[in-house]
Amino acid sequence: MEAFILGLSNGATCITYCAPVLVPYLLGEGKGILRNSVLTAQFLSGRLVGYLSFAVFAWGINRSIMQGVNKPDLIIGPAYIVFSLLLIFYGFFRTRTPCTTKCTTGLRHRLLTIWPGSLPIIAGLVTGLSFCPPFLLAFTGAMEKTTILQSMFFFFAFFLGTSIFFIPLPFSGLFRGFAALRIIGRMAAGLIGVYYLYSGIIMLIGGYTI
Amino acid sequence: MKKDTTDTSAIKKRSLFKTLLLCLPMMLLTFMMLSQGSIPTAGERLFALAVTFLFFNLLFFLMVRTGKTDRFRSILFITLAVVFVFSFISNLIAVRGSMALSQAHMIEGETPFCHLVIPMTIIPAAFTKTIIFPGKILGKYSIGGMFVIWIGVSLALGRGLCSWFCFFGGLEDGFSRILKKPIIKNISKKWTYLPYAVLLGIVLMSALTLSPTYCKWLCPFKTVTEYVEITSVQVLIQTIIFVSLFIGLVIVLPILTKRRTQCGLFCPLGALQSVTNKTNVFEVRIDQDKCIQCNKCIKVCPTFSIDEESLGRGSVKASCTKCGKCIDACPQKALFYHVKGTSLNSTFDRYRLLFLYPAFLVLAIITGGFMQDAIVKTIKLITTGTIM
Repeated sequence: MEAFILGLSNGATCITYCAPVLVPYLLGEGKGILRNSVLTAQFLSGRLVGYLSFAVFAWGINRSIMQGVNKPDLIIGPAYIVFSLLLIFYGFFRTRTPCTTKCTTGLRHRLLTIWPGSLPIIAGLVTGLSFCPPFLLAFTGAMEKTTILQSMFFFFAFFLGTSIFFIPLPFSGLFRGFAALRIIGRMAAGLIGVYYLYSGIIMLIGGYTI
Repeated sequence: MKKDTTDTSAIKKRSLFKTLLLCLPMMLLTFMMLSQGSIPTAGERLFALAVTFLFFNLLFFLMVRTGKTDRFRSILFITLAVVFVFSFISNLIAVRGSMALSQAHMIEGETPFCHLVIPMTIIPAAFTKTIIFPGKILGKYSIGGMFVIWIGVSLALGRGLCSWFCFFGGLEDGFSRILKKPIIKNISKKWTYLPYAVLLGIVLMSALTLSPTYCKWLCPFKTVTEYVEITSVQVLIQTIIFVSLFIGLVIVLPILTKRRTQCGLFCPLGALQSVTNKTNVFEVRIDQDKCIQCNKCIKVCPTFSIDEESLGRGSVKASCTKCGKCIDACPQKALFYHVKGTSLNSTFDRYRLLFLYPAFLVLAIITGGFMQDAIVKTIKLITTGTIM
């Protein structure tokens, strides 16, 4: 539930920042709602693969580092504090996009030359791996999970939360250029960051989760 | 290029007879609502009823006669906030002996439910069939009662609820009128989106934690109503947050900006009410032929609901609370109340009257009980030295 809510609070931001780079292609290629839906589904599956690989990575960190630590809250707590402060800054003050889609243009071009039909999946994968503060917070949350399944489920719920905002895309490209939604999404993410900041402080001070 | 700024008041003062005739329905309605069908026999109760009735109807008379809305609405609206706080706190002290709410009170469901909690209770109620608030479902200050009132007022007034019903809004409205000119003039447009972000954030957090997040952490008005007894570090942090928000958003910023900053830049219910404005029949429109782009309406709007784009479009933003301040301020009478689906004629005062009847009645009903209670308690305080 926590991961789903985190995803939900950041979904508007994800879509308004990252999707407009890809939507022209997705909608331009699609000849109808069905075709657009297939392309969007491919894009989302790419995102899911990206998220699940990070779930495995988070579990790996849990197994290798966290198991040996007496009080894991002393690691998770500061991580929450740092990433939530980043999220608050990003929510209220940052104007530049944190999405990796922009900085992986060269790589995507090379991949597309080899495999032209892969754009939606590759695009999904790279946007899925964007190191924006909400993603890093989700990563910290997943690090707390003790089994690989729990960690993957956490990221899956995060993925579901963010993906809800992609549903209208096949129909109209609704959110393209909708600046107000982007601002609201970012500010909501910033406010959710305050909750994580508080959680981190409480973890650090008391060694317990609220 | 700016047009001529000569005042071309289209709406002249009404004749005394016509005004009295138009005020008659309001006199009957307010008398019926205030007396609740029986005239009190106790002296102080009768005095309170008479003063309240005369006060309400004098203000309505002036609204109708002068054509000014906000000038007289604000008097009643600020009065509502003051008498509400006075009446509510004195009741709490009489019943509990303190403004602090203990865990036992919450377990017993004795927490009064206010309209600001509505946005965060809807989604958990829909999905989990759980009301995440320690209050009663039925009875005085109950969840059910407030929901019914909220639906009714939203249907009748849309976001007009924020200027004609909300018993907190008058506090910052009052503070925003202290200075003659604002000290802080430029507020970035992006902050007007904050209420929607707060709404999204608290709805999500309430669904996640299954607790009324806004009430627990953010509601600034707990400072002047009731608050949870400080028994832990968490409650202490919550108290610091909501008191700071009260001082900042309800006192300091309204004084410095001459705007209702809590309503315009923070309140999640306000954001939700903006949606109800879309379905409400009353709206504020701008006659572009008359508008001389003097921007007075932009400067005076307390909730940041008018900008240059609005002037170009001929209509205000969805966040308009229909207070009438811009209409009163416009030297050209270019702004006017309008009923959707009717002709766009700024010289018609009938649209304003059609809006005023339900809006004023709502404000009078909500103020009536608190005002009479406050008068009775004040008389007791003067005569006996105690309000209990």
